[in-house]
Amino acid sequence: MSLYNFKKIQPVPTSTDFVDIVLSKTQRKTPTVIHKNYNIGRIRQFYMRKVKFTQDSFDEKFKLILDEFPKLDDIHPFYSDLMNVLYDKDHYKLALGQVNTARHLIDQVAKDYCRLLKFGDSLYRCKQLKKAALGRMATVMKRQKDSLAYLEQVRQHLARLPSIDPNTRTLLICGYPNVGKSSFINKVTRADVDVQPYAFTTKSLFVGHMDYKYLRWQVIDTPGILDHPLEERNTIEMQSITAMAHLRSCIMYFMDLSEQCGYSVADQVALFHSIKPLFANKPTMLVINKIDQVKPEDLPEDQQKMIQDIVDQDGVTMVSMSCYLDENVMQVRNTSCDKLLAARVEMKMKGQKINDVINKIHLAEPVARDNVDRPAQIPQAAVGRARFDMKDPNRRRLERDIEAENGGAGVYSADFKSKFPGDIMVFLDTHLLIYLIYTLTERYDLASEDWKYDVIPEFWEGHNIADFIDPEIEEKLEALEREEERLEKEGFYESEEEIIDSEEEELKATAETIREKKKLIVQAHRAAKGNRNIIPKMVAGRASTVDDMNDHLSKMGIDASAVVDRARSVTRKRARSESRADDAVREASVLPRGDSMIRDRSTAGLRNVKQKVEADKQKKVSQRRSNLFAKRGEADRDIQTKMPKHLFSGKAAVGKRDRR
Amino acid sequence: MAVRAQFENSNEIGVFSLLTNSYCLVAVGGSENFYSVFEGELGDVIPVIHTTIAGCRIIGRLCVGNKNGLLVPNTTTDQELQHIRNSLPEKVAVQRVEERLSALGNVIVCNDYVALVHPDIDRETEEIIADVLGVEVFRQTIADQVLVGSYCSLSNQGGIVHPRTSIQDQDELSSLLQIPLVAGTVNRGSDVIGAGCVVNDWCAFAGMDTTSTELSVMESIFKLQDAQPTAIVNEMRDSLVDTYS
Repeated sequence: MSLYNFKKIQPVPTSTDFVDIVLSKTQRKTPTVIHKNYNIGRIRQFYMRKVKFTQDSFDEKFKLILDEFPKLDDIHPFYSDLMNVLYDKDHYKLALGQVNTARHLIDQVAKDYCRLLKFGDSLYRCKQLKKAALGRMATVMKRQKDSLAYLEQVRQHLARLPSIDPNTRTLLICGYPNVGKSSFINKVTRADVDVQPYAFTTKSLFVGHMDYKYLRWQVIDTPGILDHPLEERNTIEMQSITAMAHLRSCIMYFMDLSEQCGYSVADQVALFHSIKPLFANKPTMLVINKIDQVKPEDLPEDQQKMIQDIVDQDGVTMVSMSCYLDENVMQVRNTSCDKLLAARVEMKMKGQKINDVINKIHLAEPVARDNVDRPAQIPQAAVGRARFDMKDPNRRRLERDIEAENGGAGVYSADFKSKFPGDIMVFLDTHLLIYLIYTLTERYDLASEDWKYDVIPEFWEGHNIADFIDPEIEEKLEALEREEERLEKEGFYESEEEIIDSEEEELKATAETIREKKKLIVQAHRAAKGNRNIIPKMVAGRASTVDDMNDHLSKMGIDASAVVDRARSVTRKRARSESRADDAVREASVLPRGDSMIRDRSTAGLRNVKQKVEADKQKKVSQRRSNLFAKRGEADRDIQTKMPKHLFSGKAAVGKRDRR
Repeated sequence: MAVRAQFENSNEIGVFSLLTNSYCLVAVGGSENFYSVFEGELGDVIPVIHTTIAGCRIIGRLCVGNKNGLLVPNTTTDQELQHIRNSLPEKVAVQRVEERLSALGNVIVCNDYVALVHPDIDRETEEIIADVLGVEVFRQTIADQVLVGSYCSLSNQGGIVHPRTSIQDQDELSSLLQIPLVAGTVNRGSDVIGAGCVVNDWCAFAGMDTTSTELSVMESIFKLQDAQPTAIVNEMRDSLVDTYS
C-alpha cells in the first residue's frame, strides 16, 4: 500500500565484483575468435565491439543504481530528513554523484579508444588498444570502491526501515526515555517492541497497526529524547524529531509523574515546551502514564500547575493511564484517534476533494408518495437467529463438510435434488398482524422417489421434450369427459329414423352394383397379374399387330376398318421399283472402291529438279549440328546422363586410364 | 449480518448468486465452499439452490427475482427451468421472459414492492415484471448508467447506489423506492454494487475485498443486526470522509 518501498533496491556489488561481473559478461556475450589474416576492417570492428559492449554494461549497471536509490529531493520530506539523519545527506549525494561521474568517465574512455581503434593497423595493435581501454575502465571502477560500499550499506539499512506511510492516520508516541512508550504500542497494536528497564531500549522508529472505527491506523514508536539543543542531539533522538516534524499525526507526549524514568516532572515539562514548535497545528495529547504509581492529583501544587499550564496554553488534551495495570489504555487510544480524525476531517472539509465525497455521506430518506406500507419480509426463522459459526460443534452440517468427507472438490459432486431440511417458513407481517405461513414443499417432491434421479434427455428423436409436457392434461381430459356426458344426457347422439324414398333407394342400388363390378375387375386384374414381369406399354405395343387392334376395337363395338386401312404395312411400301429384279439391286451395292494414285510429296511445291537438288543440299546443312550431338531432330532436347557412373567411380584417378 | 465471500477467487459474488427473501440461487462451482457460505447463513430459513442458467454460471446477472417470483431469460433451457421450478417453494412464480436485453439481472433491480428497469426494456416485459414479481415498475437510470441492476443493490429496508449518483438523484430514487438510499462502493472501491454484493432483508453477502468501512455502511443501510441507516451520517461520517478523500 505504501508509496515508498525501499525493499526492492537491487544489491550494489563491490568495485572488484563490479569489474568481474562486467568483464565476464563481455567475454560471454561478444565473439571471441579472430585471426590476424582477417580483413583489417573486421579486426577493428571486432575490438571496437568489445570496448563498446563493456561500456554499455557499465552504463546499464550505473543507471540501475542511480534510478533505484531514492532521490532526496523527490521523496516525502519525512523520508528525506530521516535519510539525512541516518546516512548524512551530503555523503549520500556525494556517493551517488561519484557513481554518476564514473559513468561519464567510462563513457569518455570508451569513446576515445573507439576513435583510436579506427586507426589500429594490425591485430596486435587493436588488441593492445582494447586491453588499455578495459584496463582504464577497471581503474575508474576501482576508485569507486568506497562509494559503492557505502551505497550497499545504505541499501541494506533502507530495506530494514519500517514501511511508514507518511500520509495515513498516524499516532506518534514520544517522550523521555523509559516513560512507557513502547509498552503502550505493545498494548494497542501487535507490534512486538522490546521493553527493558533502561534508557534508549528503542533505538529506531517502530511501526504497529490497529483498527478503530472501521479504519486502519498506524502507530509509531519513537526513541526517547532528552532535553538539549537540536545541534547536540544524536542520531537516535533525531529520528524522533524527524518523525514529529514531518508526519501529519496525532502527537502523544508521554509523561511519567512517578519519576521512575530518572527524569523529574519539571524536566519532562521543559522538554515538552522545547519541542512544542514541532507540534504546531497537530492534535496533541498529553499522556500521563504509570498512574498506578502516581496520579496527577497526588502531585505537589507547583508540579500540578506546570502540567495544567501545558493543557491550558496549547489546547492539549490530557489523559492518564497505566500500561502496567491495563487501565484506561483503550480510552487513551480512542481519544487520540478521535481527535486526529476530527482534525483530518476538518482539514479535508476545507479542501477541493470534498465535493466528490459529499454525495457519499448523504443519506437519502424517502418522501412518502402513497399510503402503502412496505414492511420488511423477514421469516420468523431468521429473526434472532445466531450467526453461523464454523467452530460450533453442534453446527449445521454443510455441503462442504459432505464434500470433504467424500473426497473433496473435484471428486465429489453435489446432489442438487436433495431435500430441503427446513419445513416451515413463517413470514411475520407486522402491519397486517397476519402470519403468512409458507409451507416449503420438499424439493423435488415427486409422486415416486425413484423418479427424482431419472435421466430425462433434453431432446428425443429431434423433439424438445418439454414442448410436449402439458401439466393440465388431466383436467383437459376430465373436461372433455364431462362434456361428453353432458351431451349424452342431452340426447345429442340419439338420431331420428330417416325416411328413404324409392328414387334414392334405386340410386343406391345402382351405385352398389357399380362398386361390386369395380371390385371384381380389380380382383381379376390382380389375379391375372400374378407373379410375372410387367412389360412396359412401349414394349408390349411392339408385339401387338393390326389384327389384334382390329379384334379389340370390334369387341368394343367400334368399326376399325378405316384404321386398319391406314396401317403402315398397307399404305407404305419400299421405294424400290417393283419391276426391278432383286439381284440387280444387290450387285450395285457391293462393287469394290478403285485405288487412288499416291503422289511423291518430296517434290511438292518445287518447281523443277534444280530446285529440288538445292533444297536437299540446304536440308543436309541444317541437320549437321543436330547430327553432331546425336539429336533426333531440332525438337530433341533430351539431356542424357552427364556423368556416367562407370566412368567416374572406382579407384582409378584422373589420367590413369584411357577409355576412349 | 453481513458476510464476506468469494466465488473461485472472484469477488463479484453478485454475478454468481441471487438472493431474495424466499429463496437463494447459487452457481455451480468447482467446490461447495461458495454454496456453503450461503447454506450456513440461510440453509435453515430459505432454500439455497444450485442452478445454472443456459449452462452459464453467471446466474446473478441473468435472472432477477424477489419474494414473489423469479424471472429467467429466454436462453434458460427447459430442464433448468424444470429444476428451478421443482426446487423453489410453490408460492414463488417462475417465468421465462422473451426479452432482447437478456441479462435480466443487469437491467432490472427490485425489492418486494418496487422495481427499477432499464429505459429500453420491452413493454411486455414490463408487464410481466409487474405481474410475476408483484411490483411497481419504473424506468430509471442510476448515475446516468442504464444498467440499473449492475449499479444498485436493494432490499425492502434500504439500498446502495452507484458512488457517483448525485444527491438529487438519490433523493428522487429514494422516494420512488420508498427506502433510504446511500451512494457507496463494495470490494475496495468497486462501483458495480449489484455485482459486488447480494442482500435480502436480514442478510447480506459481499466480496472478499470489501473493506470494513464498506461492510459497516451495508449493515447500516440494510438495517442488519439492528443497525440504523442514520449511523452513516452520524457515527460513520468521519471515517467515510477520511477514507474517500
